[in-house]
Amino acid sequence: MAIPIVPTLLRESLAALATEDSRIDGRGRFEGRDIEIEVNCLANAEGSCRVRMGDTIVLVGVKFQIMTPYPDRPTQGGLMTSAEVRPVCGPDWEPGPPSAESIELGRVVDRGIRESGCLNMDDLCILPGEKAWQVIVDLFAISDDGNLFDAFALAAIAALSTAIVPAERFDVGEDYPLPLSSTPMMTSYHKVGGRFVYDANKREELGGDERIHITLGDEGHVHSLQKGLRGVFTAAEFTEIMDQAQIRCVELRDIVGKLE
Amino acid sequence: MTGDSTSNESGKGSTLVYPGQRLSADGSAQAGHGVRLIDGNLVAMKTGNMVRSGNTVTIEPLSSRYVPRASDLVVGYIEGMTNNIWFVDIGAAFNAILPMSLAPWKVEFGAVRQHLGIGDAILCRVQEVDETHSSVVTMKGMGLRKLKSGFIEEIPPHIIGKVIGKGGGMLQQLKSLGQSRMIIGQNGRIWIDGELSGMSETRKAMDVIRDTAHLPGLNERVAALATE
Amino acid sequence: MGGYGDIQCIDENGIRLDGRTAEQMREVEIECGVIPVADGSARVKWGKNEVIAAVYGPMEAHPRKIQRQDRAILDVRYNMAPFSTTDRIRPGFNRRSREISKVTADALESVVDLELYPRSKIRVEIEIICAEAGTRCAGITAASMALADAGIPMSDMVVSVASGKVHDIVVCDLNKEEDNYGEADLPMGILPMTGELVFLQMDGDLNMEQFQQAWDYNMESAKEVHAIMVEALKRRYGGDE
Repeated sequence: MAIPIVPTLLRESLAALATEDSRIDGRGRFEGRDIEIEVNCLANAEGSCRVRMGDTIVLVGVKFQIMTPYPDRPTQGGLMTSAEVRPVCGPDWEPGPPSAESIELGRVVDRGIRESGCLNMDDLCILPGEKAWQVIVDLFAISDDGNLFDAFALAAIAALSTAIVPAERFDVGEDYPLPLSSTPMMTSYHKVGGRFVYDANKREELGGDERIHITLGDEGHVHSLQKGLRGVFTAAEFTEIMDQAQIRCVELRDIVGKLE
Repeated sequence: MTGDSTSNESGKGSTLVYPGQRLSADGSAQAGHGVRLIDGNLVAMKTGNMVRSGNTVTIEPLSSRYVPRASDLVVGYIEGMTNNIWFVDIGAAFNAILPMSLAPWKVEFGAVRQHLGIGDAILCRVQEVDETHSSVVTMKGMGLRKLKSGFIEEIPPHIIGKVIGKGGGMLQQLKSLGQSRMIIGQNGRIWIDGELSGMSETRKAMDVIRDTAHLPGLNERVAALATE
Repeated sequence: MGGYGDIQCIDENGIRLDGRTAEQMREVEIECGVIPVADGSARVKWGKNEVIAAVYGPMEAHPRKIQRQDRAILDVRYNMAPFSTTDRIRPGFNRRSREISKVTADALESVVDLELYPRSKIRVEIEIICAEAGTRCAGITAASMALADAGIPMSDMVVSVASGKVHDIVVCDLNKEEDNYGEADLPMGILPMTGELVFLQMDGDLNMEQFQQAWDYNMESAKEVHAIMVEALKRRYGGDE
């Protein structure tokens, strides 16, 4: 990814806005952008979801392959999450092998899903010791106006929750819905103008500092955390956003729940 | 669709043309900006509104990137420097250079950083542009300076005219809407300074202009914001 | 082009597997301005294909060794998303994509007014979201639409379409089975205003009469798609009511 210059005035403006409890696009401090979400939008994927948050647009495809289980886990299948943020989605994303940013995106979204246990690896067994399902989640960005993390995480869970295991195509039985036992949700907070805000857009990311990603399960348990970029935060700052995360994750889970 | 017709007044039923479109066939018309004569036909070379001005047919682009011209007032960001020049991003295909001899201060060789650092915003003027579109900018001139406060909004350069308005009317509306100072860079970067609440009013108005500049009734839409 | 096996691509009534007759094109939908952060963009739905293209630039060409002193270069990337096909595609370097990127660049460079922007580059990013035969053609078409949306100066737009032959019958705009099992594939990149070509490939076996028929099908289709492209621009930019 190309590192854009950070205009000094931008940082100063963001700081000034923060002191008046304002944001550059007029949103409240913990207010997210409007979400548009559509599932089953990719004809060749077994599960799919398109999410739009402001001008950030992402696509997630879920596909299945047959794998040989590892010898020490003969009844378990696998999950792989791959993010390849391609130059199509913004002027700063460069062609070439996956950048550190892309890799971090994929891994953070992956951990959120994996650590919640919503996907039981034993449920993916076809024939113990011989065949199991590998679930592959491909994260694809169409337009990057900030907060790819949450857009990807939301689309990934929605795609998984509506995915159909293609047993018929592989001749191992009848198609059935992928069993998910819970719906982990991610919320991301970016320090902008000296305080954490929710769902930062591109300009806020450009002029901001560190970010924190929080994935919570159905009961509000913490399943995964990640702090990225340069910056220092206090326990009090963290507690404040954790409280916000608890509220927002419930709202997001509701959105996914309403999809068929 | 031959795109023949009536001259285009902003807001009055635009004559949208597409690349490759053959324009009016009358023999006297001359090819202006965005139009080329190919095999005796006037051909539109880009998407935009066809404008006939006297004998010349031009295309007003609907989407564009800034092309620097000498004497343009522009807002730039410092991208880098050597011992005696700064590289300035002016939103064009190429960065401009600001030599220390054209800075408003007495700069010593090697001391460029003390005056302007990476990320700083400046108001400067394009001094010259060579045939490869690389430009030199100067900060010697009235009002040219480092911008130390305020916001910079970006709009596509081709709607600058709409932001200024007839006789500067729209610009006045925007300034009074937000009680702000505004300076318009020809590169589509607009500097706005004033109280925060006012600036956010001005920026909302800019969003309206940015999104709906090509539709009629722009003045009314912006005036309506003042009463909200 | 392998054997047909059990597949009958066109039946005795002249109906193809997807219900079309020999001379019919698939349904095409085009929208521009679909990627808000790009300088220009377009989405093309062509049959079951879905392609998006983004244009960024013109901008300085880096690294310096790829710069041309006299004109701009088009930096084109064609890529298929991992979920675009029935079998997942592993991300990474792909020779086919590299070749298609190059022929696409050659096609588009033939119409873009590159001399206006020496030493710069214009990035064209083509992503196949869903694939069903004719992706390179849909890709060129989407790229051309995105360039028009970005206001890049060009002498014409490019429409690309591939006709071919199945069971010795020439058919317009090959679908997936026809592309896999058929006897010929003729993709062309056409300038609708003049009928000139900027892209041409061919695989298979066609006699001169069949070749002419496939050629004509492509030319007809190009006119139809061009009208759809113009409509898309009008919808986005509010052309005459």
